Amino acid sequence: MNLVEKILAKASGRQKVEPGDIVVANVDCLLLHDLSGYITSRVFENEVHRPMKYPERVVIVFDHHFSPPTESQARVLEETRAFARRHGVHLFDCGSGNIHHAGLRNGFIRPGAVIVGSDSHTPVHGAVGAFAAGLGNNSHAGMVMPFGKAWFRVPETIRIELSGHHKPGVTPRDSALWLTAQIGEGGAVYKALHFGGKYIKELDMWDRWLFPLITVDVGAKCGFIEPDEKTVQFMSEFTSNPYDLLYSDSDSDFQATWSYDISDLEPQVAASPTLGNVGPISVFAGREVQWAELGGHGGGRIEDIRQAAEILRGRHIANGVKFNVVPSSRQVFQQACDEGLVVDMFQAGCTWFPPSTGSNQAINMGAMAETESMVSTHARNFPGRNGSPKAKMYLSSAYTVAASAVRGVLSDPREFLA
Amino acid sequence: MIGGICTKFGDGVNTDVIMPGRYLVSIDPVELAEHVFEPLGPEVQARVRNSPVIVAGFNFGCGSAREQAASGLVGAGVVAVVAKSFARTFFRNAINTGLLAITQADASDAAADGVEVFVDLVNAVVVVGDSTYPFPAYPESLIEIIRAGGLIPYVSQKLSDGGVA
Repeated sequence: MNLVEKILAKASGRQKVEPGDIVVANVDCLLLHDLSGYITSRVFENEVHRPMKYPERVVIVFDHHFSPPTESQARVLEETRAFARRHGVHLFDCGSGNIHHAGLRNGFIRPGAVIVGSDSHTPVHGAVGAFAAGLGNNSHAGMVMPFGKAWFRVPETIRIELSGHHKPGVTPRDSALWLTAQIGEGGAVYKALHFGGKYIKELDMWDRWLFPLITVDVGAKCGFIEPDEKTVQFMSEFTSNPYDLLYSDSDSDFQATWSYDISDLEPQVAASPTLGNVGPISVFAGREVQWAELGGHGGGRIEDIRQAAEILRGRHIANGVKFNVVPSSRQVFQQACDEGLVVDMFQAGCTWFPPSTGSNQAINMGAMAETESMVSTHARNFPGRNGSPKAKMYLSSAYTVAASAVRGVLSDPREFLA
Repeated sequence: MIGGICTKFGDGVNTDVIMPGRYLVSIDPVELAEHVFEPLGPEVQARVRNSPVIVAGFNFGCGSAREQAASGLVGAGVVAVVAKSFARTFFRNAINTGLLAITQADASDAAADGVEVFVDLVNAVVVVGDSTYPFPAYPESLIEIIRAGGLIPYVSQKLSDGGVA
Protein backbone atom coordinates (compact mmCIF):
# COMPACT_ATOMS: atom_id res chain seq x y z
CA MET A 1 0.00 0.00 0.00
CA ASN A 2 1.07 3.57 -0.47
CA LEU A 3 1.03 6.21 2.24
CA VAL A 4 -2.55 7.39 1.70
CA GLU A 5 -3.85 3.81 1.54
CA LYS A 6 -2.02 2.97 4.78
CA ILE A 7 -3.43 6.02 6.56
CA LEU A 8 -6.98 5.26 5.43
CA ALA A 9 -6.63 1.55 6.33
CA LYS A 10 -5.39 2.37 9.81
CA ALA A 11 -8.00 5.06 10.39
CA SER A 12 -10.81 2.70 9.38
CA GLY A 13 -9.54 -0.32 11.30
CA ARG A 14 -8.69 -2.39 8.24
CA GLN A 15 -5.65 -4.47 7.39
CA LYS A 16 -5.72 -3.37 3.80
CA VAL A 17 -7.58 -1.04 1.45
CA GLU A 18 -7.56 -0.72 -2.31
CA PRO A 19 -8.52 2.10 -4.65
CA GLY A 20 -12.29 2.18 -5.01
CA ASP A 21 -13.01 0.89 -1.49
CA ILE A 22 -15.37 3.04 0.54
CA VAL A 23 -14.09 3.45 4.08
CA VAL A 24 -15.41 5.23 7.16
CA ALA A 25 -12.31 6.70 8.77
CA ASN A 26 -11.61 8.27 12.14
CA VAL A 27 -10.78 11.94 11.70
CA ASP A 28 -7.83 13.38 13.65
CA CYS A 29 -8.47 17.04 12.91
CA LEU A 30 -11.32 19.10 11.49
CA LEU A 31 -10.16 22.54 10.28
CA LEU A 32 -12.75 25.26 9.76
CA HIS A 33 -12.33 28.91 8.94
CA ASP A 34 -14.66 31.81 9.65
CA LEU A 35 -16.46 31.36 6.32
CA SER A 36 -17.30 27.72 7.03
CA GLY A 37 -17.32 27.57 10.83
CA TYR A 38 -20.50 29.55 11.26
CA ILE A 39 -22.67 27.63 8.82
CA THR A 40 -21.28 24.31 10.04
CA SER A 41 -22.06 25.32 13.63
CA ARG A 42 -25.63 26.29 12.73
CA VAL A 43 -26.29 23.04 10.88
CA PHE A 44 -24.72 21.00 13.70
CA GLU A 45 -26.80 22.63 16.42
CA ASN A 46 -30.06 23.09 14.51
CA GLU A 47 -30.23 19.79 12.65
CA VAL A 48 -27.94 17.21 14.21
CA HIS A 49 -28.83 17.53 17.92
CA ARG A 50 -26.00 15.36 19.23
CA PRO A 51 -22.99 16.17 21.37
CA MET A 52 -19.62 16.99 19.84
CA LYS A 53 -17.71 13.73 20.00
CA TYR A 54 -14.13 15.02 20.05
CA PRO A 55 -14.11 18.79 20.58
CA GLU A 56 -10.34 18.70 21.04
CA ARG A 57 -9.98 17.68 17.39
CA VAL A 58 -11.98 20.62 16.02
CA VAL A 59 -10.11 23.82 15.13
CA ILE A 60 -11.69 27.08 13.97
CA VAL A 61 -9.47 29.87 12.63
CA PHE A 62 -10.79 33.36 11.86
CA ASP A 63 -8.55 34.04 8.89
CA HIS A 64 -10.70 35.84 6.32
CA HIS A 65 -11.89 38.45 8.79
CA PHE A 66 -9.07 40.07 10.70
CA SER A 67 -11.28 42.99 11.77
CA PRO A 68 -14.90 42.58 10.66
CA PRO A 69 -16.08 45.40 8.37
CA THR A 70 -19.82 45.20 9.11
CA GLU A 71 -22.06 44.58 12.08
CA SER A 72 -23.51 41.44 10.57
CA GLN A 73 -20.03 39.97 10.06
CA ALA A 74 -19.11 40.92 13.64
CA ARG A 75 -22.21 39.04 14.78
CA VAL A 76 -21.25 35.95 12.78
CA LEU A 77 -17.87 35.90 14.51
CA GLU A 78 -19.45 36.45 17.93
CA GLU A 79 -21.87 33.57 17.39
CA THR A 80 -19.03 31.35 16.24
CA ARG A 81 -17.00 32.27 19.35
CA ALA A 82 -20.01 31.34 21.51
CA PHE A 83 -20.30 28.02 19.63
CA ALA A 84 -16.62 27.31 20.26
CA ARG A 85 -17.08 27.99 23.97
CA ARG A 86 -20.26 25.89 24.21
CA HIS A 87 -18.59 22.85 22.73
CA GLY A 88 -15.02 23.38 23.89
CA VAL A 89 -13.47 23.43 20.42
CA HIS A 90 -10.26 25.31 19.65
CA LEU A 91 -10.62 28.85 18.34
CA PHE A 92 -7.87 31.01 16.85
CA ASP A 93 -9.33 34.48 16.70
CA CYS A 94 -8.74 37.38 14.27
CA GLY A 95 -5.05 38.05 13.71
CA SER A 96 -3.92 34.44 14.21
CA GLY A 97 -2.90 33.91 10.59
CA ASN A 98 -4.05 31.73 7.71
CA ILE A 99 -6.08 28.63 8.61
CA HIS A 100 -3.52 26.12 7.34
CA HIS A 101 -0.53 27.86 8.86
CA ALA A 102 -2.34 28.26 12.21
CA GLY A 103 -3.47 24.61 12.18
CA LEU A 104 0.03 23.34 11.46
CA ARG A 105 1.96 25.71 13.72
CA ASN A 106 -0.30 24.95 16.67
CA GLY A 107 0.33 21.23 16.46
CA PHE A 108 -2.96 19.99 15.00
CA ILE A 109 -1.46 18.61 11.79
CA ARG A 110 0.71 15.52 12.06
CA PRO A 111 2.20 12.95 9.69
CA GLY A 112 0.00 9.87 9.28
CA ALA A 113 -3.14 11.72 10.41
CA VAL A 114 -6.53 12.14 8.73
CA ILE A 115 -7.22 15.86 8.30
CA VAL A 116 -10.47 17.25 6.87
CA GLY A 117 -11.72 20.77 6.40
CA SER A 118 -14.12 22.82 4.37
CA ASP A 119 -11.39 24.94 2.89
CA SER A 120 -10.66 23.43 -0.50
CA HIS A 121 -6.90 23.86 -0.03
CA THR A 122 -6.94 21.54 3.01
CA PRO A 123 -4.97 18.93 0.96
CA VAL A 124 -1.89 21.14 1.52
CA HIS A 125 -1.28 19.10 4.68
CA GLY A 126 -0.19 16.15 2.58
CA ALA A 127 3.13 18.02 2.60
CA VAL A 128 3.96 16.45 5.97
CA GLY A 129 2.66 13.00 5.03
CA ALA A 130 -0.92 13.34 6.28
CA PHE A 131 -4.09 12.36 4.39
CA ALA A 132 -5.93 15.66 4.02
CA ALA A 133 -9.05 16.41 1.98
CA GLY A 134 -11.65 19.13 1.59
CA LEU A 135 -15.27 18.21 2.40
CA GLY A 136 -18.48 20.21 2.62
CA ASN A 137 -20.22 21.49 5.74
CA ASN A 138 -22.79 18.70 5.93
CA SER A 139 -20.03 16.09 6.08
CA HIS A 140 -18.56 17.93 9.05
CA ALA A 141 -21.83 18.68 10.84
CA GLY A 142 -23.42 15.30 10.13
CA MET A 143 -20.49 12.91 10.57
CA VAL A 144 -17.26 14.47 11.87
CA MET A 145 -18.68 16.52 14.75
CA PRO A 146 -21.11 13.93 16.17
CA PHE A 147 -19.15 10.75 15.39
CA GLY A 148 -15.54 11.81 14.70
CA LYS A 149 -15.73 10.07 11.33
CA ALA A 150 -15.93 10.75 7.60
CA TRP A 151 -16.48 8.48 4.62
CA PHE A 152 -13.98 8.34 1.77
CA ARG A 153 -13.56 6.51 -1.46
CA VAL A 154 -9.93 5.33 -1.51
CA PRO A 155 -8.42 7.21 -4.46
CA GLU A 156 -6.19 5.89 -7.21
CA THR A 157 -2.72 7.38 -6.92
CA ILE A 158 -0.69 9.10 -9.60
CA ARG A 159 3.01 9.63 -9.01
CA ILE A 160 4.26 13.09 -9.95
CA GLU A 161 8.01 12.80 -10.45
CA LEU A 162 9.79 16.15 -10.47
CA SER A 163 13.42 16.73 -11.39
CA GLY A 164 15.77 19.56 -12.26
CA HIS A 165 17.05 22.78 -10.74
CA HIS A 166 15.62 26.27 -11.12
CA LYS A 167 17.32 28.95 -13.08
CA PRO A 168 18.11 32.06 -10.99
CA GLY A 169 15.01 34.14 -10.28
CA VAL A 170 12.71 31.14 -10.69
CA THR A 171 11.11 29.69 -7.56
CA PRO A 172 9.14 26.63 -6.40
CA ARG A 173 5.96 28.70 -6.76
CA ASP A 174 6.73 29.12 -10.46
CA SER A 175 7.11 25.34 -10.71
CA ALA A 176 3.81 24.77 -8.92
CA LEU A 177 1.92 27.24 -11.17
CA TRP A 178 3.45 25.64 -14.25
CA LEU A 179 2.64 22.14 -12.99
CA THR A 180 -1.02 23.13 -12.51
CA ALA A 181 -1.23 23.91 -16.21
CA GLN A 182 0.69 20.76 -17.21
CA ILE A 183 -1.66 18.46 -15.28
CA GLY A 184 -4.59 20.67 -16.25
CA GLU A 185 -7.63 21.81 -14.31
CA GLY A 186 -9.65 18.66 -13.87
CA GLY A 187 -6.65 16.65 -15.11
CA ALA A 188 -6.52 14.47 -12.01
CA VAL A 189 -10.12 14.36 -10.77
CA TYR A 190 -10.57 12.14 -7.66
CA LYS A 191 -6.90 11.07 -7.68
CA ALA A 192 -4.29 11.15 -4.97
CA LEU A 193 -1.10 12.81 -6.21
CA HIS A 194 2.17 11.50 -4.83
CA PHE A 195 4.75 14.26 -5.29
CA GLY A 196 8.28 12.90 -5.37
CA GLY A 197 11.59 12.88 -7.14
CA LYS A 198 14.90 14.57 -6.52
CA TYR A 199 13.46 18.05 -6.92
CA ILE A 200 10.88 17.58 -4.14
CA LYS A 201 13.40 15.83 -1.90
CA GLU A 202 15.74 18.81 -2.08
CA LEU A 203 13.09 21.44 -1.28
CA ASP A 204 12.65 22.87 2.20
CA MET A 205 9.34 22.06 3.90
CA TRP A 206 7.58 25.37 3.26
CA ASP A 207 8.45 25.05 -0.42
CA ARG A 208 7.27 21.44 -0.53
CA TRP A 209 3.98 22.85 0.77
CA LEU A 210 3.28 24.56 -2.54
CA PHE A 211 2.76 21.23 -4.34
CA PRO A 212 -0.01 19.49 -2.38
CA LEU A 213 -1.55 22.98 -2.36
CA ILE A 214 -2.37 22.72 -6.08
CA THR A 215 -4.09 19.34 -5.93
CA VAL A 216 -7.63 20.68 -5.61
CA ASP A 217 -7.12 22.90 -8.59
CA VAL A 218 -6.28 19.96 -10.83
CA GLY A 219 -9.32 18.16 -9.44
CA ALA A 220 -7.46 15.75 -7.15
CA LYS A 221 -8.72 14.59 -3.77
CA CYS A 222 -5.40 14.87 -2.00
CA GLY A 223 -1.67 15.13 -2.54
CA PHE A 224 1.17 13.90 -0.41
CA ILE A 225 4.92 13.79 0.04
CA GLU A 226 6.75 10.94 1.77
CA PRO A 227 7.98 12.06 5.20
CA ASP A 228 11.74 12.17 5.68
CA GLU A 229 14.27 13.64 8.10
CA LYS A 230 13.25 17.17 7.02
CA THR A 231 9.63 16.38 7.92
CA VAL A 232 10.60 15.12 11.37
CA GLN A 233 12.75 18.18 12.02
CA PHE A 234 9.94 20.47 10.78
CA MET A 235 7.31 18.82 12.96
CA SER A 236 9.50 19.13 16.05
CA GLU A 237 9.08 22.91 15.83
CA PHE A 238 5.30 22.62 16.26
CA THR A 239 4.44 19.61 18.38
CA SER A 240 5.90 17.25 20.92
CA ASN A 241 2.92 14.89 20.62
CA PRO A 242 3.74 11.51 19.13
CA TYR A 243 2.68 10.61 15.61
CA ASP A 244 2.95 7.66 13.27
CA LEU A 245 5.53 7.97 10.56
CA LEU A 246 4.02 5.90 7.78
CA TYR A 247 5.70 5.40 4.40
CA SER A 248 4.59 3.95 1.09
CA ASP A 249 5.77 0.38 0.56
CA SER A 250 8.63 0.26 -1.90
CA ASP A 251 6.54 -1.97 -4.18
CA SER A 252 3.37 0.15 -4.00
CA ASP A 253 2.14 0.76 -7.50
CA PHE A 254 0.65 3.82 -9.10
CA GLN A 255 -2.06 4.18 -11.66
CA ALA A 256 0.42 6.26 -13.66
CA THR A 257 3.66 8.16 -13.26
CA TRP A 258 3.92 11.60 -14.79
CA SER A 259 7.45 13.04 -14.94
CA TYR A 260 8.42 16.68 -15.31
CA ASP A 261 11.74 18.50 -15.47
CA ILE A 262 11.56 22.11 -14.30
CA SER A 263 15.09 23.12 -15.36
CA ASP A 264 14.05 25.25 -18.32
CA LEU A 265 11.26 27.16 -16.59
CA GLU A 266 11.00 30.94 -16.78
CA PRO A 267 9.08 32.83 -14.06
CA GLN A 268 5.41 31.88 -14.51
CA VAL A 269 2.13 33.80 -14.30
CA ALA A 270 -1.41 32.38 -13.97
CA ALA A 271 -3.79 35.00 -15.39
CA SER A 272 -7.55 35.29 -14.84
CA PRO A 273 -9.93 33.66 -15.59
CA THR A 274 -8.46 30.27 -14.59
CA LEU A 275 -5.52 28.61 -12.86
CA GLY A 276 -4.68 26.69 -15.98
CA ASN A 277 -4.15 29.93 -17.89
CA VAL A 278 -0.42 29.86 -17.17
CA GLY A 279 2.44 31.21 -19.24
CA PRO A 280 5.96 32.55 -18.86
CA ILE A 281 6.27 36.15 -17.67
CA SER A 282 7.30 37.22 -21.18
CA VAL A 283 3.72 36.55 -22.38
CA PHE A 284 2.19 38.86 -19.77
CA ALA A 285 4.94 41.45 -19.22
CA GLY A 286 3.79 45.05 -19.62
CA ARG A 287 0.22 44.59 -18.35
CA GLU A 288 -0.66 47.23 -15.77
CA VAL A 289 -1.22 46.39 -12.11
CA GLN A 290 -2.49 48.72 -9.42
CA TRP A 291 -2.37 46.21 -6.58
CA ALA A 292 0.29 43.81 -5.38
CA GLU A 293 -0.07 41.39 -2.49
CA LEU A 294 1.92 38.78 -0.64
CA GLY A 295 -0.65 36.62 1.10
CA GLY A 296 -3.15 33.81 0.72
CA HIS A 297 -3.09 30.11 1.51
CA GLY A 298 0.33 29.47 0.08
CA GLY A 299 1.64 33.04 0.24
CA GLY A 300 2.80 35.29 3.06
CA ARG A 301 5.49 32.82 4.11
CA ILE A 302 8.82 34.18 5.33
CA GLU A 303 10.30 32.87 2.06
CA ASP A 304 7.93 35.12 0.08
CA ILE A 305 8.69 38.17 2.19
CA ARG A 306 12.45 37.59 1.88
CA GLN A 307 12.18 37.31 -1.90
CA ALA A 308 10.16 40.51 -2.20
CA ALA A 309 12.53 42.37 0.11
CA GLU A 310 15.49 41.23 -1.98
CA ILE A 311 14.02 43.21 -4.87
CA LEU A 312 12.48 46.07 -2.91
CA ARG A 313 15.41 46.91 -0.63
CA GLY A 314 16.66 50.32 -1.74
CA ARG A 315 13.85 50.69 -4.28
CA HIS A 316 10.32 52.07 -4.15
CA ILE A 317 7.09 50.76 -5.63
CA ALA A 318 5.66 52.71 -8.58
CA ASN A 319 3.27 55.62 -8.23
CA GLY A 320 -0.29 54.34 -8.19
CA VAL A 321 0.64 50.85 -6.97
CA LYS A 322 -0.56 49.66 -3.56
CA PHE A 323 1.48 46.73 -2.17
CA ASN A 324 -0.12 44.88 0.76
CA VAL A 325 1.93 42.40 2.77
CA VAL A 326 0.01 39.78 4.75
CA PRO A 327 2.06 37.44 6.96
CA SER A 328 0.68 33.91 7.04
CA SER A 329 1.14 33.64 10.79
CA ARG A 330 2.18 35.66 13.81
CA GLN A 331 5.46 33.75 13.86
CA VAL A 332 6.22 34.89 10.30
CA PHE A 333 5.58 38.51 11.26
CA GLN A 334 7.92 38.11 14.24
CA GLN A 335 10.56 36.64 11.95
CA ALA A 336 10.11 39.50 9.47
CA CYS A 337 10.58 41.96 12.36
CA ASP A 338 13.72 40.16 13.51
CA GLU A 339 15.22 40.11 10.03
CA GLY A 340 14.53 43.79 9.39
CA LEU A 341 12.13 42.96 6.56
CA VAL A 342 9.23 44.89 8.06
CA VAL A 343 11.16 48.14 7.81
CA ASP A 344 12.62 47.28 4.39
CA MET A 345 9.19 46.64 2.91
CA PHE A 346 7.61 49.64 4.62
CA GLN A 347 10.28 51.99 3.31
CA ALA A 348 9.73 50.65 -0.20
CA GLY A 349 6.11 51.81 0.10
CA CYS A 350 4.40 48.58 1.21
CA THR A 351 1.60 48.37 3.78
CA TRP A 352 1.58 45.61 6.41
CA PHE A 353 -1.68 43.84 7.15
CA PRO A 354 -2.52 41.55 10.09
CA PRO A 355 -1.64 37.85 9.93
CA SER A 356 -4.57 36.33 8.05
CA THR A 357 -5.41 34.88 4.66
CA GLY A 358 -5.30 38.36 3.12
CA SER A 359 -7.61 39.33 0.30
CA ASN A 360 -8.72 35.77 -0.51
CA GLN A 361 -12.32 36.41 -1.70
CA ALA A 362 -12.04 40.06 -0.61
CA ILE A 363 -13.84 39.51 2.70
CA ASN A 364 -11.85 42.06 4.68
CA MET A 365 -9.57 43.60 2.02
CA GLY A 366 -8.60 43.40 -1.62
CA ALA A 367 -11.78 44.19 -3.59
CA MET A 368 -11.13 45.70 -7.01
CA ALA A 369 -13.12 47.84 -9.42
CA GLU A 370 -13.51 46.58 -12.96
CA THR A 371 -10.58 48.65 -14.25
CA GLU A 372 -8.13 47.28 -11.68
CA SER A 373 -5.64 44.41 -11.63
CA MET A 374 -3.64 42.66 -8.93
CA VAL A 375 -0.49 40.55 -8.95
CA SER A 376 -0.24 38.28 -5.94
CA THR A 377 0.88 35.01 -4.39
CA HIS A 378 -2.74 33.94 -3.89
CA ALA A 379 -4.00 30.52 -4.86
CA ARG A 380 -6.95 31.49 -7.08
CA ASN A 381 -7.69 33.98 -9.86
CA PHE A 382 -11.35 33.34 -10.70
CA PRO A 383 -13.38 36.34 -11.94
CA GLY A 384 -15.40 38.06 -9.22
CA ARG A 385 -13.34 36.62 -6.41
CA ASN A 386 -11.84 40.02 -5.66
CA GLY A 387 -14.62 42.47 -6.43
CA SER A 388 -15.62 43.09 -10.03
CA PRO A 389 -15.76 40.04 -12.32
CA LYS A 390 -13.89 42.22 -14.81
CA ALA A 391 -10.96 42.90 -12.47
CA LYS A 392 -7.88 40.80 -13.19
CA MET A 393 -5.79 38.66 -10.85
CA TYR A 394 -2.31 37.50 -11.83
CA LEU A 395 -0.71 34.82 -9.67
CA SER A 396 3.07 34.61 -9.52
CA SER A 397 6.11 34.23 -7.28
CA ALA A 398 6.92 36.87 -4.67
CA TYR A 399 9.85 37.92 -6.87
CA THR A 400 7.50 38.66 -9.77
CA VAL A 401 5.00 40.40 -7.46
CA ALA A 402 7.76 42.73 -6.18
CA ALA A 403 9.30 43.41 -9.60
CA SER A 404 5.86 44.23 -11.02
CA ALA A 405 5.08 46.56 -8.10
CA VAL A 406 8.29 48.50 -8.76
CA ARG A 407 7.40 49.05 -12.42
CA GLY A 408 3.60 49.23 -12.18
CA VAL A 409 3.38 46.62 -14.91
CA LEU A 410 3.94 42.85 -14.87
CA SER A 411 7.71 42.48 -15.00
CA ASP A 412 10.39 39.81 -15.18
CA PRO A 413 12.07 39.72 -11.75
CA ARG A 414 15.39 38.61 -13.27
CA GLU A 415 15.88 42.18 -14.47
CA PHE A 416 16.19 43.13 -10.78
CA LEU A 417 18.24 40.19 -9.59
CA ALA A 418 21.61 40.76 -11.18
CA MET B 1 -38.30 10.99 -13.10
CA ILE B 2 -37.44 14.52 -12.12
CA GLY B 3 -36.41 17.42 -14.30
CA GLY B 4 -37.77 20.04 -16.64
CA ILE B 5 -36.40 22.95 -18.64
CA CYS B 6 -32.61 23.21 -18.54
CA THR B 7 -30.13 26.05 -18.51
CA LYS B 8 -26.94 25.14 -20.32
CA PHE B 9 -23.38 26.11 -19.35
CA GLY B 10 -19.95 25.33 -20.75
CA ASP B 11 -16.81 23.79 -19.18
CA GLY B 12 -15.16 24.66 -15.87
CA VAL B 13 -18.01 26.47 -14.12
CA ASN B 14 -16.41 27.26 -10.73
CA THR B 15 -18.06 27.63 -7.36
CA ASP B 16 -17.14 31.34 -7.09
CA VAL B 17 -19.45 31.89 -10.06
CA ILE B 18 -22.16 29.65 -8.64
CA MET B 19 -22.04 31.25 -5.17
CA PRO B 20 -19.80 34.27 -4.55
CA GLY B 21 -17.69 34.09 -1.38
CA ARG B 22 -19.20 37.16 0.23
CA TYR B 23 -22.49 35.33 0.81
CA LEU B 24 -21.00 32.25 2.45
CA VAL B 25 -21.93 33.26 5.99
CA SER B 26 -25.62 33.12 5.13
CA ILE B 27 -27.46 29.96 6.09
CA ASP B 28 -30.78 31.08 4.70
CA PRO B 29 -31.41 29.01 1.55
CA VAL B 30 -33.74 31.69 0.20
CA GLU B 31 -31.11 34.38 0.58
CA LEU B 32 -28.42 32.09 -0.81
CA ALA B 33 -30.63 31.31 -3.80
CA GLU B 34 -30.86 35.01 -4.62
CA HIS B 35 -27.12 35.10 -5.23
CA VAL B 36 -26.75 31.94 -7.31
CA PHE B 37 -24.85 32.79 -10.52
CA GLU B 38 -24.83 36.47 -9.55
CA PRO B 39 -21.49 37.14 -11.32
CA LEU B 40 -23.15 36.12 -14.61
CA GLY B 41 -25.85 38.76 -14.34
CA PRO B 42 -29.62 38.95 -13.75
CA GLU B 43 -30.60 37.41 -17.09
CA VAL B 44 -28.77 34.14 -16.38
CA GLN B 45 -30.08 34.19 -12.79
CA ALA B 46 -33.67 34.53 -13.97
CA ARG B 47 -33.22 31.61 -16.39
CA VAL B 48 -31.73 29.37 -13.70
CA ARG B 49 -34.58 30.19 -11.32
CA ASN B 50 -37.04 28.98 -13.96
CA SER B 51 -35.17 25.82 -14.88
CA PRO B 52 -34.96 22.85 -12.53
CA VAL B 53 -32.05 21.30 -14.46
CA ILE B 54 -28.56 22.57 -15.19
CA VAL B 55 -26.58 21.05 -18.05
CA ALA B 56 -22.84 21.69 -18.19
CA GLY B 57 -19.55 20.58 -19.70
CA PHE B 58 -16.41 19.32 -17.96
CA ASN B 59 -15.39 19.91 -14.33
CA PHE B 60 -18.60 21.53 -13.09
CA GLY B 61 -18.23 23.00 -9.59
CA CYS B 62 -14.44 23.31 -9.59
CA GLY B 63 -12.55 25.56 -7.19
CA SER B 64 -13.64 26.27 -3.64
CA ALA B 65 -15.26 23.36 -1.75
CA ARG B 66 -18.12 25.56 -0.50
CA GLU B 67 -21.24 23.52 0.06
CA GLN B 68 -23.37 26.63 -0.44
CA ALA B 69 -22.79 26.22 -4.19
CA ALA B 70 -24.87 23.04 -4.05
CA SER B 71 -27.34 24.16 -1.38
CA GLY B 72 -27.82 27.52 -3.16
CA LEU B 73 -28.78 25.65 -6.35
CA VAL B 74 -31.24 23.55 -4.35
CA GLY B 75 -32.64 26.78 -2.89
CA ALA B 76 -33.05 28.19 -6.40
CA GLY B 77 -35.17 25.18 -7.34
CA VAL B 78 -32.54 23.16 -9.21
CA VAL B 79 -33.08 19.42 -8.77
CA ALA B 80 -30.38 17.97 -11.02
CA VAL B 81 -27.12 18.88 -12.71
CA VAL B 82 -26.12 16.84 -15.77
CA ALA B 83 -22.49 17.41 -16.76
CA LYS B 84 -19.61 15.84 -18.66
CA SER B 85 -17.70 15.68 -15.37
CA PHE B 86 -17.80 17.13 -11.84
CA ALA B 87 -15.20 18.42 -9.44
CA ARG B 88 -15.14 15.85 -6.64
CA THR B 89 -15.95 18.33 -3.85
CA PHE B 90 -19.02 19.56 -5.74
CA PHE B 91 -20.18 15.99 -6.41
CA ARG B 92 -19.87 15.12 -2.73
CA ASN B 93 -21.63 18.31 -1.66
CA ALA B 94 -24.43 17.70 -4.16
CA ILE B 95 -25.15 14.24 -2.78
CA ASN B 96 -24.93 15.51 0.79
CA THR B 97 -27.47 18.27 0.09
CA GLY B 98 -29.83 16.06 -1.91
CA LEU B 99 -29.00 17.43 -5.37
CA LEU B 100 -28.65 14.96 -8.23
CA ALA B 101 -25.29 15.20 -10.03
CA ILE B 102 -25.24 13.01 -13.13
CA THR B 103 -22.20 12.46 -15.33
CA GLN B 104 -23.43 11.91 -18.90
CA ALA B 105 -21.39 13.55 -21.67
CA ASP B 106 -23.69 12.65 -24.59
CA ALA B 107 -26.76 14.00 -22.82
CA SER B 108 -24.80 17.16 -22.08
CA ASP B 109 -24.01 17.55 -25.80
CA ALA B 110 -27.57 16.72 -26.84
CA ALA B 111 -29.31 19.15 -24.50
CA ALA B 112 -29.68 22.65 -25.93
CA ASP B 113 -30.38 25.58 -23.67
CA GLY B 114 -34.09 25.65 -22.79
CA VAL B 115 -35.01 22.07 -23.74
CA GLU B 116 -36.50 19.66 -21.22
CA VAL B 117 -34.15 17.22 -19.50
CA PHE B 118 -35.27 14.50 -17.10
CA VAL B 119 -33.32 12.16 -14.84
CA ASP B 120 -34.59 8.71 -13.96
CA LEU B 121 -32.52 7.56 -11.01
CA VAL B 122 -34.10 4.10 -10.80
CA ASN B 123 -33.41 3.16 -14.40
CA ALA B 124 -30.24 5.28 -14.48
CA VAL B 125 -31.02 7.23 -17.64
CA VAL B 126 -31.09 10.86 -18.66
CA VAL B 127 -33.90 11.73 -21.05
CA VAL B 128 -33.37 14.59 -23.51
CA GLY B 129 -36.30 15.00 -25.91
CA ASP B 130 -36.94 11.57 -27.45
CA SER B 131 -33.53 10.17 -26.62
CA THR B 132 -32.37 8.36 -23.50
CA TYR B 133 -28.80 8.28 -22.26
CA PRO B 134 -27.80 5.62 -19.69
CA PHE B 135 -25.36 6.39 -16.91
CA PRO B 136 -23.71 4.06 -14.36
CA ALA B 137 -26.28 3.64 -11.59
CA TYR B 138 -25.58 5.34 -8.27
CA PRO B 139 -24.62 2.88 -5.53
CA GLU B 140 -27.61 2.10 -3.29
CA SER B 141 -26.05 4.07 -0.40
CA LEU B 142 -25.98 7.27 -2.46
CA ILE B 143 -29.55 6.73 -3.68
CA GLU B 144 -30.61 6.42 -0.04
CA ILE B 145 -28.88 9.70 0.85
CA ILE B 146 -30.52 11.48 -2.10
CA ARG B 147 -33.94 10.02 -1.21
CA ALA B 148 -33.56 11.19 2.38
CA GLY B 149 -32.83 14.69 1.12
CA GLY B 150 -29.14 14.75 2.01
CA LEU B 151 -26.56 13.36 4.42
CA ILE B 152 -27.88 14.83 7.66
CA PRO B 153 -31.49 13.68 7.22
CA TYR B 154 -30.07 10.31 6.12
CA VAL B 155 -27.91 9.91 9.23
CA SER B 156 -30.80 11.03 11.48
CA GLN B 157 -33.09 8.53 9.77
CA LYS B 158 -30.56 5.72 10.19
CA LEU B 159 -30.16 6.53 13.86
CA SER B 160 -33.89 6.62 14.52
CA ASP B 161 -34.22 3.32 12.65
CA GLY B 162 -31.81 1.88 15.20
CA GLY B 163 -28.97 1.60 12.71
CA VAL B 164 -25.41 2.52 13.53
CA ALA B 165 -23.80 5.39 11.65
